[in-house]
Amino acid sequence: MRFVTVIIVFLITASATVGQDGTSWHRGETEQAPPLQLFHSTHGINLPTAEVLQQGNVEFEVSHRFVPRVSDGSRHLWGFDGPSNIRLALGYAYSDDGYVTLGRSNVQDNLELTVKHQILRWRNETLPVLLAARVGAAWNSDVNDRDAGDARNVQYYAQLIFNTMYADRFALGVVPSYVDNSRITHRDRQYTFVVGLHAQYYVTDVFNVVAEWIPTVSGWRTRHNTVAFGIELETGGHFFKIIASNNELLNTAQLLAGATDSFDNGDLHIGFNITRLLMF
Amino acid sequence: MRIPGLTISLAVASLCLVMQAAAQRSEYHVDRAAKNLVTFISDAPIEDFEGSTSKIDGYLAYDGESFTSNSDLYFEVDLRTLDTGIGLRNRHMREDYLHTKKYPYAKFRGKIIAATPSGDKTTVKVSGSMDIHGVKRSMDISGTIRPSGDRLRITTTFDVSLPHHDIEVPQFMFMKIDENMELVLDFTLKNVK
Repeated sequence: MRFVTVIIVFLITASATVGQDGTSWHRGETEQAPPLQLFHSTHGINLPTAEVLQQGNVEFEVSHRFVPRVSDGSRHLWGFDGPSNIRLALGYAYSDDGYVTLGRSNVQDNLELTVKHQILRWRNETLPVLLAARVGAAWNSDVNDRDAGDARNVQYYAQLIFNTMYADRFALGVVPSYVDNSRITHRDRQYTFVVGLHAQYYVTDVFNVVAEWIPTVSGWRTRHNTVAFGIELETGGHFFKIIASNNELLNTAQLLAGATDSFDNGDLHIGFNITRLLMF
Repeated sequence: MRIPGLTISLAVASLCLVMQAAAQRSEYHVDRAAKNLVTFISDAPIEDFEGSTSKIDGYLAYDGESFTSNSDLYFEVDLRTLDTGIGLRNRHMREDYLHTKKYPYAKFRGKIIAATPSGDKTTVKVSGSMDIHGVKRSMDISGTIRPSGDRLRITTTFDVSLPHHDIEVPQFMFMKIDENMELVLDFTLKNVK
């Protein structure tokens, strides 16, 4: 009996010295899940997504909206004639959670400074959620009959960005947004509260379709709610969007106040957004 | 209580065998606390780019003092942790090319088939199988081993063909990058027995 015991002890002792493939090595607990990312780019057409940049990255943006409408016909080359509203912006990621952007539009020389910060990541197999906050201030330095430094030329805005994605293909964003002084030329100070909706369907790894609807819930609205749709191409660090919208404005505080033209009447402006990610 | 002589003899013999085997077999594991670095370099038409990670793990084992004696090695790199410096590019790499949800590790298993000491280092040739993206390919790789106390510092540089592992060659503005990625590894093993 004792002989059997010794043999068992020997076998246990010998086997204890042998791990994976004859060694004692085992994989370490070093696994780190990649950052949760839903939408591919940091903004849709006009609405921001909850996506942020990697610390130290720089995002350059140039966007155009042609002022003529598609419905203007051949006289304005179906909306492709100039002039156009232009936005140039440069973003810098101060951390992996947030970045700051300085953007300028030639409409009333609107200069905006914006911070977007991711505040919640919820991993879920079916419906993961990202939540970000975006706040900013805009200064309109070219307003008729008004000094550039007039306090009425300054606007403030804040947005909460809820993003989710289904089956790695269909991304949805809900963006409640508040703009203070949304109509800078109005006699009284106005506000606008909208709830932007943003959907993007990723057809392939490089091609997707995108749509937005920004209904005004309360406060000032410039005649119509903004509707936009388009396609997005993604290559390397670039995003190219070709879009159509009833709103020809580009900077946050301006476009959230609503559109002059009617989507229902087909009064659409052609436009594009291009962003390029850079690393220094 | 009387213990049979045969039982004692067997127990002692068993212990000696285990101790002898332990003494003869050298085993090193990747020192996870060391400054390990795995870098890949991509030659693209407009700009080269690099990606790197410190998440390499694995072991090297051999009999006695000779690296080539009954050697056995296995190393793996956690591809989910590769960082090119741009978050979006990392995402593309993970999701569109390496498919790391399905194939999180690049693995190499093999043995040292030649070792040439020279000064404070030994140049070795390793033969084995590289498993990336679920596709295994036989590979011979040269590298150097620099012993330092109970540590071994491993350095090696070699190319991996993306098509050989069924990895689509990424395009940038309709121009493809080089289908061969240069890998540069510099990591440290520590003796565990």
